[in-house]
Amino acid sequence: MRADPAVKTPMGELRLDIGVRNGRSLATGQYHRGALRVLRPHYLDESGQVCYMVVNPGGAFLGGDLYTLDITVAEDARLLLTTQSATKVYKTPATFAEQRMTVRLGAHSCLEYVPGQLIAYRGAAYRQSALIEMDASASLIMAEVVTPGWSPDGRPFRYEQLRLRNEVRYGGRLLAIDNVLLTPPSDGTSDVAALPVADISGLALMEGFSHLGSLLVVDPRVDAVLVAELQKLLLEHEPDTLTGISQLNGPGFVVRALSGSTSRLTSMMNAVTALLRERWFNQAPLNLRKY
Amino acid sequence: MDAQQPPPSPSYLLPLQQLCDSALPTGAFSHSFGLETYLARGIVHDENSFAAWLRHFIDQQLVYSDGLAIRLTTEALEGAGLADVWELDRRVTAQALPLQLRGAGIKMGLRMLEIGEGIFPAPALDEYRTQIKAGRCAGHTAVAFALTAHGLGIPLAQLMSAYFFSTATTLTQNAVRAIPLGQNAGQRVLRLMHGVVTSAVATAMTLEAEDLGAVAPGLEIAQMRHEYQHARMFMS
Repeated sequence: MRADPAVKTPMGELRLDIGVRNGRSLATGQYHRGALRVLRPHYLDESGQVCYMVVNPGGAFLGGDLYTLDITVAEDARLLLTTQSATKVYKTPATFAEQRMTVRLGAHSCLEYVPGQLIAYRGAAYRQSALIEMDASASLIMAEVVTPGWSPDGRPFRYEQLRLRNEVRYGGRLLAIDNVLLTPPSDGTSDVAALPVADISGLALMEGFSHLGSLLVVDPRVDAVLVAELQKLLLEHEPDTLTGISQLNGPGFVVRALSGSTSRLTSMMNAVTALLRERWFNQAPLNLRKY
Repeated sequence: MDAQQPPPSPSYLLPLQQLCDSALPTGAFSHSFGLETYLARGIVHDENSFAAWLRHFIDQQLVYSDGLAIRLTTEALEGAGLADVWELDRRVTAQALPLQLRGAGIKMGLRMLEIGEGIFPAPALDEYRTQIKAGRCAGHTAVAFALTAHGLGIPLAQLMSAYFFSTATTLTQNAVRAIPLGQNAGQRVLRLMHGVVTSAVATAMTLEAEDLGAVAPGLEIAQMRHEYQHARMFMS
């Protein structure tokens, strides 16, 4: 029987409150329990933006696991949040593994969220949700990569299902629901009309590519001119990476991209965020490998 | 003799046919919903490739956007009430990430609402208009359609089937013009969509509210790329 996810006790909990002290951002409150914690903070440059790295000492998500992250970035504070390694989801025989994140961004605050790639193993089902409530002067950059997963025989897309959902409330109104659902067909399955289930690697879904990238940016400085400029920048990554960019129903944009590897997607997303970091924050391109 | 009289058709049959006629002037003929991007890339170029695309569009997009929105609107009208419908309008607008797709939903939604007010006036439609004028709702085709149809006694499965098939018909007529295809080829594709639509309705009935907008990435990318494609016949 499937457990009611609403009453699950989390395997890991993390709460992080970021504020500003003497011009530098840092945690003003922090709580962790179970299989989720953060490493000591880094400062990658002189900007005052603090970098926290989330660690899952267990190494992977298992069936029924729930992880919760509760992130608050107070007025004027700036957080770079990443993970120490890829998010791995092992086979989940009974019920899906899940991560729920809530984010609150205060006035003129900033969150740059760059988690490691998602790797779902054969037979894995995983749900991830982020609910982001941001002040109309705050800034959000989220970059995620979904790999075709891992299976013993090396075949791609052997996981059961991935659901990734981000909901952004901007200045009190619903701005965007970014919803990705990937359900590879099981062998021999057909739907109720006895039609074969769609090939996930093909037309309309992955379009022949293996990796999916998503970049979501919300910032009062986003406008149609910037989106057009970034669209030209994205062309430099074709044809290895198929991209689409569009402005949200407000000052934000989303980039959806398909490619053949995590490194290609990361390089494309780094090019976009490098422009934003330079222009908005006078910061160098993000280089997490240095640390 | 009475025994030879055919049974009367359900009272909703003609209203449903009128609402789902591809000639209903919602402006659907101006939209390709990303199909034109696949035409430009040469991926959709004939009857078979168009049929494959249309099937994915119904399965991977209509089900998770308009189909689920029709179902949730109908359920809200029968349960929680109009406040949930207005929230759904905001969600169905927010889930449409490609700008032209979002614009299409709003534009066609306002036309659908106007048509609905004219032919099947109902207090809920007036209230929707009020919410839109006040800036609390944007307007959306599926929400306006479900509000219009509510009260006509149309079973949900029939309502959704007819809506899906009507969308498939309009897109096929657009493909007949744009690929181009023969009219008979278009009809063969539509015949193939019968099973697809039936299956899509069954899927839409099983989804969770959180699934709204879980559209296939390839379709979304094509809808975004349409914005900056050079030669365009369609608005989306």
